Amino acid sequence: MTPDRSDVLYGTLGLMVVKTLEALGPLHGYLIARRIEQISGDQLALNQGTLYPALLKLEQMGWISSKWGTSESGRRVRIYALTRTGRKQLRQEEAQWQRAAGIVERFLKISEGSS
Amino acid sequence: MTRVRIWLSRLWGVVGSRQSDREIDDEIASHLAEATDDYLRRGLAPEEARRAALRSFGGVPQAREVYREQRSFMWLEEVPRDVRYALRTLRRSPAFTLTAAATLALAIGTNTAMFSVLNAVLLRPLPYRSPDQLAMVWTEDPAQSLREGRSALWDVEQWRGQSRTFADMATFDTVSTVLTGADGVEQIAGASTSPNLLSLLGVRPVLGRSFSAEEAEQAQRLVLISHRFWQARFGGAGEALGATLVVNGEPARIVGVLPADFNVARIDADVWLPHTTHRTVRGGQTWFVIGRLQPGATFAQAQAEMSAVARRLDEQLPAVARNQGIAVIPLSRYIVGPQTRLALWMLGGAVFCVFLIAAANVTSLSLARGTARAREMAVRAALGANAGRIVRQLLTESVLLAAVSGLTGTLLAVWGLRLIRTFGPDNLPRLNEVGLDLRALGWALATSLLAGILVGLAPAMTTLRRDLRPSGEESGRSVSGGTSTRRIRRALVVAEFALAIVLLVGAGLLVRSWWHVTGVDPGFRTARVLVMEVSSPATLTDPARRADLYHRILEQIQAVPGVESAGTIDDLFTGNPREQVLTIEAAEGPVSERLRLARDEVSADFFSTLGTPLLRGRFFSIDDRLEAPRVAIVNDAMARRSWPGRDPLGRRFAFGSRDSGGPWYTVVGVVGDMRRQGLERDALPQIFVSLAQNPPSRNVALLIRTSSEDPLAMAGALRAAVRRVEANAPIYGVAPLDQQLGTYLTQRRFQTSLLAGFSAVALLMAAVGIYGLIQYSIAMRTQEIGLRMAIGARAGDIFRMIIGEGLKLSLAGLALGLVGATWLGRAGSSLLFGVTASDPLTFLAVSLLLTVVATAACYFPARRAMRVDPIRALRAM
Repeated sequence: MTPDRSDVLYGTLGLMVVKTLEALGPLHGYLIARRIEQISGDQLALNQGTLYPALLKLEQMGWISSKWGTSESGRRVRIYALTRTGRKQLRQEEAQWQRAAGIVERFLKISEGSS
Repeated sequence: MTRVRIWLSRLWGVVGSRQSDREIDDEIASHLAEATDDYLRRGLAPEEARRAALRSFGGVPQAREVYREQRSFMWLEEVPRDVRYALRTLRRSPAFTLTAAATLALAIGTNTAMFSVLNAVLLRPLPYRSPDQLAMVWTEDPAQSLREGRSALWDVEQWRGQSRTFADMATFDTVSTVLTGADGVEQIAGASTSPNLLSLLGVRPVLGRSFSAEEAEQAQRLVLISHRFWQARFGGAGEALGATLVVNGEPARIVGVLPADFNVARIDADVWLPHTTHRTVRGGQTWFVIGRLQPGATFAQAQAEMSAVARRLDEQLPAVARNQGIAVIPLSRYIVGPQTRLALWMLGGAVFCVFLIAAANVTSLSLARGTARAREMAVRAALGANAGRIVRQLLTESVLLAAVSGLTGTLLAVWGLRLIRTFGPDNLPRLNEVGLDLRALGWALATSLLAGILVGLAPAMTTLRRDLRPSGEESGRSVSGGTSTRRIRRALVVAEFALAIVLLVGAGLLVRSWWHVTGVDPGFRTARVLVMEVSSPATLTDPARRADLYHRILEQIQAVPGVESAGTIDDLFTGNPREQVLTIEAAEGPVSERLRLARDEVSADFFSTLGTPLLRGRFFSIDDRLEAPRVAIVNDAMARRSWPGRDPLGRRFAFGSRDSGGPWYTVVGVVGDMRRQGLERDALPQIFVSLAQNPPSRNVALLIRTSSEDPLAMAGALRAAVRRVEANAPIYGVAPLDQQLGTYLTQRRFQTSLLAGFSAVALLMAAVGIYGLIQYSIAMRTQEIGLRMAIGARAGDIFRMIIGEGLKLSLAGLALGLVGATWLGRAGSSLLFGVTASDPLTFLAVSLLLTVVATAACYFPARRAMRVDPIRALRAM
């Protein structure tokens, strides 16, 4: 499947953001976007602009927090960090996602076997 | 929980929007800078690095838009901007804006005015405490088909004593009242009431107090005055309390002043006198009765109980009063009768139809405009506006348009209400209460909003359905979005015509009714006749002297130059006359029966003055003196009822029961029927007796036929003639007879002219609607028409095609409308007179009218279509 820039689902994007922040600690927007693309092995070319509404929504939900800081290159950037709520929610989301992914995977196997 | 949090945070976002706008811009800027640095590091040239950063970011405006959407309730913060933009757009197309605003303003204005009338007359509670517990209580006589009969005081006392559902009952009636003042005697509006009336209604005097039961019992001479009387006679001063009025020749002390506009069961007298309710004799059945239910009791329970009471009382009543029932009618239902209610709802519905038609027209207009604006929308979409955003913009425009119209409409309504209060029917109950109150203003607001949404919705929907991506085709010749727009507009035109038809049929039926009513022969000639009511002085108690006074007055009047003849009667127009006992001499002996009839003392020239035809026998003559055998003249209805198939001349009857010993009257003449309850009601049985032979009442109506086309011009001379005989005789109610008869028609005239007006507006709007549509469709099809002409169609074919399109639509509307009209006509048939609800002539005429109007509306655009130059049209393709 060729990665389509607009194909990243909102919900998945949120999960990816949270997971990235958990793994790497507080980051600013551009770094989050890059990390997501790198982790996906550049399979996923993020439409980076869509990241900001997603970040805002997560912040509104209270999963992440943000404050102004400086990037490595000395620019004024907004740095996002996972909150305690976010950490808890991530556990739940992960479990749910894995369950769902497992089910889908099983289905895919069936259809491969029968075709 | 999370949802609430997001919501709150978004709400906060509305407040802090300006700062956050800058923040997201900063954030995006640093994002792009970081990305550019990254690409530079990877070895791209600065220019390319910057472009690559932008590419991987996606559209900056889109991202910002989505971000802001997420941050707060966008629509809230964008309202001012939308409004500004909408104002600019509306100003840019003044023709559309003016047409649309004027149409809507007219519709909202008429709607608000009509709603105010409905509100005041039907919806607003009556001005008493807990008015939904109040009921009129009537003596009912099935044998006379009399449902709302008045009652005797003794009966009411029994009902009051035996009822458990009624907390209290009060009695009242108008009484003929003269006031003696410094400048002579005058007739004023007086009423008599049981002392408990005000406390039963829960009305307090604004000054002083009401009567006590003891005072009424002792027949003390006390009086309550109306607010109007207080203002006029005492200038609203407190000294009025305790002052003395000479009422009916005797002094009476003022104990209280009633609130402004106080009235009960449409009686609003200036002076109210108390009467006692404790009676040992039954008394006449002359009183209005109002009752208040116990809390929690229903009208049905009260009716059931009173029916039982009526059966119990039956044995105690004299023979002639047997088999009467008691009817309990909610006060609000009595004050505004079913006929008026129906008429008002009909008018309300009609005006709402006009509103819908207006909204449909404006919708159609803005749809046409929407297609023209497709390109603008496409540009906006390209610049990052999503569909919701554009729909909101369109709705803002239409709501703004509706708000302006609503404001103008409300001003129109204020003006319209003034007209209605001035020219509305006097007999429309509670008309004086009509005004723009909060509820009416709320209605104006609601209709404006509804108009705004209705008008904006269709263009918004079609915009949504159309793919918003910018495309060349939209602006070019084939307008794919135009088809759905056209379909909606065609449907709107059909609906407009259907509604217009319903209104036109309604108006047509009412106009036909009006012709019938005004064509009815009242049984007397009203032209050049003046009515003048005269009271004899209270001191003149001897009936013979009173009769003599009237005769002398008649002599004087007949001596006035320009008077052709004059006569008297108690009262020409009768309300609901009481039923009376009549004993008729038959072959097997005298037979007593109760029947509802009008009995009047008339002077000798009464019939000739009014031009009422003599069918048999003779009129009264001067020989019918007091000593002569008593004679009577009956009308045709009476003759047919009491002496069916026989000659009534020479027959004898007596008023009262067989054993009451009243004098016998011999029928000497039969006259034609007179419609004395207005033109719409059949003539009652009537008995006329001679003024000379019977004790006349204290008040008589003088009927004077003059030689002048304007009989009112002679009022001064006639008044002087009466004064020459009796200087103190109160004279009142001076009016031409045709005008008096006309008052019976004011309500019908009101509803007929209003509905006719509404339907004319509806038809006009529907015509404008179809004109606009056809015009537009020709503009869209210029190339098609050109092509048709190029391959051989003649101008006539094109003309027929266009007219055919218009006719198809109007005929579809016609068919729908006729179905609706048939159905609604049945519901409103009680408003008609002399025509049935499915009157074929009306339906035919309306159908014809509509087809002609629709054809005319299509004619001009069709003419233009014929002149399409095929070469130029094809070149444009």
